[in-house]
Amino acid sequence: MSSGDQRLPLTVITGYLGAGKTTLVNHLLRHADGRRIMVLVNDFGDIAIDADLIESQEGDTLILANGCICCSMGGDLFYALSDALDRQPRPDHLLIEASGVADPTRISEIARAEPELRLDGTIALLDALGFAGLVDDAQIGSSVVRQIAAADLIVVSKSDLQSPDALSELKVQVAALAPTARQIEASFGRVPLEVLLGSLSSAEVDEIPQGCANRDHAGHDHAHHDHTEDHEDLYSRWSLSRDCIFGQQALAEVLKDLPAGLLRLKGFVKLDGRWALVQAVGGRVEIESLPRVPDHIKHTTLVAIGLKGQMDTAELDRLFSR
Amino acid sequence: MQTVIYAARKIITMVPNRPEASHVAVRDGRVLAVGSLEEVAGWAESGQAGSERAGSERAETGSGDFRLDESFADKVLLPGFVEGHAHMMAGGVWQFTYVGFEDRISPEGVLWGGLKDIEAVTSRLRQIESELEPDAPLIAWGFDPIFLTAHRLNRFDLDQVTMDRPIAVIHSNFHLMTVNSMALEMAQYDRNTNVMGVDRGEDGEPTGELQEMAAMFPVMRRLKIDIRSLARTEGGIRAYGKVCHRSGVTTATDLINDLPLEDVELMASITGEESYPARLVPVLNAHTAPAEEIAAQALALREKSTDKLRLGSIKIITDGSIQGFTARMRWPGYYKGPDHGIWNIPPEQLMTTVETLNAAGVHMHIHVNGDESSEVAIEALARALRKNPNPDHRHVLQHCQLADAAQFRKIRNLGLCVNLFANHIFYFGDKHYELTVGPERAERIDACATALSEGVPLAIHSDAPVTPMGPLFTAWCAVNRVTPSGRVLGAAERISVEDALRAVTLGPAYTLHLDHEVGSIEVGKKADFVVLEDDPLSVDPMALKDIGVWGTVLAGRLQPVS
Ligand SMILES: [Zn+2]
Ligand SMILES: [Zn+2]
Ligand SMILES: [Zn+2]
Ligand SMILES: [Zn+2]
Repeated sequence: MSSGDQRLPLTVITGYLGAGKTTLVNHLLRHADGRRIMVLVNDFGDIAIDADLIESQEGDTLILANGCICCSMGGDLFYALSDALDRQPRPDHLLIEASGVADPTRISEIARAEPELRLDGTIALLDALGFAGLVDDAQIGSSVVRQIAAADLIVVSKSDLQSPDALSELKVQVAALAPTARQIEASFGRVPLEVLLGSLSSAEVDEIPQGCANRDHAGHDHAHHDHTEDHEDLYSRWSLSRDCIFGQQALAEVLKDLPAGLLRLKGFVKLDGRWALVQAVGGRVEIESLPRVPDHIKHTTLVAIGLKGQMDTAELDRLFSR
Repeated sequence: MQTVIYAARKIITMVPNRPEASHVAVRDGRVLAVGSLEEVAGWAESGQAGSERAGSERAETGSGDFRLDESFADKVLLPGFVEGHAHMMAGGVWQFTYVGFEDRISPEGVLWGGLKDIEAVTSRLRQIESELEPDAPLIAWGFDPIFLTAHRLNRFDLDQVTMDRPIAVIHSNFHLMTVNSMALEMAQYDRNTNVMGVDRGEDGEPTGELQEMAAMFPVMRRLKIDIRSLARTEGGIRAYGKVCHRSGVTTATDLINDLPLEDVELMASITGEESYPARLVPVLNAHTAPAEEIAAQALALREKSTDKLRLGSIKIITDGSIQGFTARMRWPGYYKGPDHGIWNIPPEQLMTTVETLNAAGVHMHIHVNGDESSEVAIEALARALRKNPNPDHRHVLQHCQLADAAQFRKIRNLGLCVNLFANHIFYFGDKHYELTVGPERAERIDACATALSEGVPLAIHSDAPVTPMGPLFTAWCAVNRVTPSGRVLGAAERISVEDALRAVTLGPAYTLHLDHEVGSIEVGKKADFVVLEDDPLSVDPMALKDIGVWGTVLAGRLQPVS
């Protein structure tokens, strides 16, 4: 995204052992869509990246054919993050796969503190079969609860193996721990990239037809997918490009009422005399003033992705035409 | 080679048959004999026969290749102290300005007076500031707010030093720092900042105090406060040697290090110099790779050991700290304050990691602070040892501060060792009594007497630079258990001076698998001694920490401190 925002977006992926973090990371790297993602792994350094993705290895660092890189952070967050920030060229996105018991806020707070980082979101994975047992575990229950409570998005894996009743019970339990987070069911880590990583790629911005009110997912190039995808059926997309100016207060109000099934919303909103960058992940919304926007952005431009059937696109249209 | 007989006021040996002696004979850097002058002199003839006769300096007071050295006639000799848990950065940290409460002597021998109020802190900073290069940040360390209670150090105090260059005062626990306005500005912290750990005053503005890594990160990055490099440079390694030397330590650990090959080579070459004053035992960080790889790396490192650089052990950290409320506590948890107990490794993964490393025959140091983490570590070791019995493994629980008697019995039954954090009793004891764990459990913190009575091999440590290295002070803590408020914290856990001295010599040597070489003054062992100005067994136990250290002897080489 060439919005003049040079900050490195950071996504924290958290979840107990066996929740599917590695699978999710592999899926994400496979579908990096041209982004140079840097993954830092903290689980005793076991970087289990699919062999076919790896091009070469330099010391502790795996270089992937698509330009992504993975390395172990060796338990020292400070140096891992400093090195990522100092890396030339700087990656497009930083992803930290936290250890199974890490408190993700210890990582995400660094992104909030460091001016050159931007917290893109905290994603917690949980195993639909094992979760209830973990929460009650005297030794690790508190860690698991902390992970869920810190999350913006919660990916429930192995949901297809759990009974519908137990699953809905689980969802209620999780919602109580993380009231504003959004829950997604996914098997084999198949969550679309634009849900996991919030930053708008310039390709995505280009895709938004300027001037038309909304569209369904136009379908970016999926030719690179080498396995059958089912995620396209589970998500719906919404976009808006409209020549209108929002008041600061009005925008804040609108963003308070985002529909429940919305996972991410992002884009540029024209305010009186300036621009705002808006990013929502789960229930967390950030509005930031922007000095400038990419040249081809002429007016308010937003995209959203949500769960099909749960994100009311008509509601979104209505909200943003207020 | 020449044999030297040292006469001393007293030699405390750690050997039961002759716990005290007046003379020690040294040949080839090793102890040839300990006893009376007549006893050790009995080696003269055989010594002449067996020696290489290469020595050119024949002493006036000796016959043949024997020389009687009286320079320690009024000194007391002990086995060189062994610091079983400290960190190399205790040397390099002196590149920052010391602003602590207690007097400290730098590796270069400069006495830095303790600063008893905030004015003293700022006036020292002002003085150092005036000598700095124009663009350099001013970085200080060792500040301890526990002792300076008038008001909390803040950015206004530091702004009085200068507004024109960034200042960061790192607190003694390394988890907090206080910075001036310019440093806040560089980090882009202002009244709109809402970051955990960026302390704000009633007016909503940052006070300058930054708590924990997230809040400190932007400042550390911009001021280039590179803690890691403190332990990795030639200067850092040399400074650590001097810190050890001044405190009478002849064998010291660096209890977690990534040990890349180039660092190992640097350490081997520096410690290989005859004048490097200590033996080093760097311990591999097990958190950087899967257990199988760590095991292979540790075994390969073991082969790289030299006379003064011992490698092959690993360290695992399981939890946080008690004073930070991040140690894992069993029921009923923390006394006052929130439970932020964190695992640094999932217990499940600790089980498999410990199993893999134990099966490979790798010696482990496991950091456990809270009593839940000690419980889990004990269980992991029990399972690992059941699966792969590993006689004489000597795995060590490091800190192990809140273990109760039942845990110590299990520890003994499994053949584990403990290295208890005795300095902690003084530095944090009052806080534990009043705040973190409450009176009863505070009294059993670092339970040296229980460990000994249950038969657990015991060492005690400083964790320098978290608290200053000084085995006599560490022993003083274990003997007296006095806190700054004057409280005796757990009178029944006090140990005798004899036991405490053992816990800073032969005790830690055992935990490092080095007790056959160092830790006692005994025939065949290295001639590594600490030379004291007074007798720790006859001074008032409360004066133990005040005994002067003349210097050390390493492999028979005299190393006076001044
Ligand atoms: Zn896709
Ligand atoms: Zn896919
Ligand atoms: Zn430790
Ligand atoms: Zn330590």
